[in-house]
Amino acid sequence: MAVCISADKVLNDFLLSRSNVETSFNRVPDQAVKCGFGMQGVCCRLCSNGPCRITPNSPRGVCGATPDTMVARNFLRAVAAGAACYLHIVENAAVNLREIGRGNSDLPLKGTTLLHELADRLAISGKDINEKAAGLADRVLEDLYRPRSEKMQLVEKLAYGPRFDKWCELGILPGGAKSEVFDALVKTSTNLSSDPLDMLLHSLRLGITTGLYGLAMTNRINDVIWGEPEIRTARVGFGVLDPDYINIMVTGHQHSLVGILQDSLLSPEAAATAGNAGAKGFRIAGSTCVGQDMQLRGAHCTEIFAGQTGNNFTSEALVATGAIDLVVSDFNCTLPGLETVCEQMRVPQICLDDVAKKQNADYLPFDIRNSRAIAGKIMRAAADSFAARRQDVVINVPSHGYDDVLTGLSEKTLKSFLGGNYKPLIDLIAAGEIKGIAAVVGCSNLTARGHDVFTVGMTRELIRRDIIVLSAGCTSGALENVGLMSPAAAELAGTKLKAICLKLGIPPVLNFGPCLAIGRLEEVAADIAAEMGVDLPQLPLVISAPQWLEEQALADGAFGLALGLTLHLAIPPFITGSELVTKVLTGDLEQITGGRVIVNGDINSTVDQLEAVINTKRAGLGL
Amino acid sequence: MKRIFIKPELCAGCKNCQVACLAEHSPTSSVWLVNLSDQSSQPRNSVRLNDQNRPVPLTCRHCSEPECVTACMTGALSKDPVTGLVQHDPESCAGCWMCVMSCPFGMIAPKAGERKIAVKCDFCAGREMPRCVEACPTGAITLVEISPTHAVAAVPERSPEGGIQ
Repeated sequence: MAVCISADKVLNDFLLSRSNVETSFNRVPDQAVKCGFGMQGVCCRLCSNGPCRITPNSPRGVCGATPDTMVARNFLRAVAAGAACYLHIVENAAVNLREIGRGNSDLPLKGTTLLHELADRLAISGKDINEKAAGLADRVLEDLYRPRSEKMQLVEKLAYGPRFDKWCELGILPGGAKSEVFDALVKTSTNLSSDPLDMLLHSLRLGITTGLYGLAMTNRINDVIWGEPEIRTARVGFGVLDPDYINIMVTGHQHSLVGILQDSLLSPEAAATAGNAGAKGFRIAGSTCVGQDMQLRGAHCTEIFAGQTGNNFTSEALVATGAIDLVVSDFNCTLPGLETVCEQMRVPQICLDDVAKKQNADYLPFDIRNSRAIAGKIMRAAADSFAARRQDVVINVPSHGYDDVLTGLSEKTLKSFLGGNYKPLIDLIAAGEIKGIAAVVGCSNLTARGHDVFTVGMTRELIRRDIIVLSAGCTSGALENVGLMSPAAAELAGTKLKAICLKLGIPPVLNFGPCLAIGRLEEVAADIAAEMGVDLPQLPLVISAPQWLEEQALADGAFGLALGLTLHLAIPPFITGSELVTKVLTGDLEQITGGRVIVNGDINSTVDQLEAVINTKRAGLGL
Repeated sequence: MKRIFIKPELCAGCKNCQVACLAEHSPTSSVWLVNLSDQSSQPRNSVRLNDQNRPVPLTCRHCSEPECVTACMTGALSKDPVTGLVQHDPESCAGCWMCVMSCPFGMIAPKAGERKIAVKCDFCAGREMPRCVEACPTGAITLVEISPTHAVAAVPERSPEGGIQ
């Protein structure tokens, strides 16, 4: 049977050995024929005169819509949906922080240093941490809920100064975030806007709300609640699973929800429950980005968090090991295909947020005021499952992964690691010891040459050319499971980068964790730019989301473009049917924000292009 | 000999065969990059509605006794004795449109834009599998082997609800 391949050889072998389990890898060949109109973004289903498609013989929709209008509408709708997803996450995180601050939850705040720093930076008063926490949450929620006619108030304090000025100049400061999403839907409905340029500018505004709030603010709030990242080494891969324990797999993006399990599963009651079920205790197996977030903040849950197992498309295989007793999902990247594997392996599922409700899952509405009871229910469901299924299910955990992955990197810890400022890194870049920085971020898909194949191949080539790689997203799951985030990967880097890595004991690919940490990378970039006294587009830095999968990635990408960064994608974002939209995003935008999109599906010529961008920017800085 | 075999009852009307044909005859051959708005290009196949309003894929049949070849005054159209394919040589084409008028299936047309020569299916010259066959998601357009006497040697399975219309 033909199956999709992965860059991860152990995973390939494991999937082949479990031929009785169908995963996304098996379904790729049957979906190989794609719709050409969908690929180019020129299918319009907005009214009953359609679906209309563009061909040389039918150059406009029945309503008269041009391919430019169709593509821009489809693109803005996708960005709006992606922005909505991240804004949902920050909304929940802020609500949870507010309830803790108001004393409606007894969860302790573990990142109080950051809370005080944020309160100072954002001018939030409060006599104690609780008042500051509630104050911060209120300010975030107020901005999310403003009408579109009122600008979001924290943007100026959160954004890099020169960028804020640029956004003012371009008139793309966002109004209330949820209203921006709402009006993007209005704008793109039947026979409303037909203006591609206005819709692209709207996408940039949504990008700003996504980046500053959905990504960066979510990180901060979760750091305040669950503790700030600390640099350390961690275990990754399927090998983190210990069948003697009750293993709860977490998928999604909301640490502010599943975090309630961390301390609860360590309680004496948990120990007794596990013991009664015949297990040594409970373990959380990280999957997708919420696992990456737990790994990043893993210094605060060392005992209970077994390790990160992989990314979105390793999740079905993880359940197929048989060692998972319960799946707890809080958000997306919980594949529908997971459900059939769960059924086959007799694994119950619990969803904590109805936006990610799985058909066969029990929905357990989350309320942080009730966190103990919710954690207790999850704990008992997992223990019952362990007791009920372990007699009958064959467990087959492959020897997979690494135990020395460097983790805990953030905008603060990287700076501390370098001695409190970015001068050492800037000096290395100036001296040409490090040619530049590539942020390899976003998802994994199964179509850019296979699972993680483009991501891993491109990263190897980047480091070989002395370009340091920072990763955030499912790319991290890919890169850590093939060893590129372990110190020994230094051997794969170019001579200069290798010497630096060996001296510092670090890998050439730095692990910032989940896709939410794209917000951290962009803060790192802003800090470096500030120390150099330049604006972001001048930095010898590129972003690549080579295996972007979903609408959220497009919202992240819109933020990168608003920041003025060069963004590579291996697969076009369904825009090539419009000459205008393609021309703006891949060219003209550079004159507007400084950013642009590069689309290239070939690994080596992509790295050639990215290296050329870095060299041009170095030359611009006189390096 | 290979021929394209149409099972119209399986056609969903998606026109993916047309996009594939346009891509194959474009500079990059890429479905991502082919210019779907280019008025000087045209697919060599077509999807039309029949009298029951059902979509039917149409493509050159490379007839055993091709009317277009008979009608061609310059010799631009010929039937390859080995492959049996009806070929068109643009260099010799005078653009008289006799072929266009004589084809019973409407599968040869003046080239879009300048309209100086005719354009027809070239079976994706040199390609093992024509792009339209490869792009069809439902199996309505298939490639079959036919015997030299032109009887279909191996027809893929038919849908249960009906044969060839």
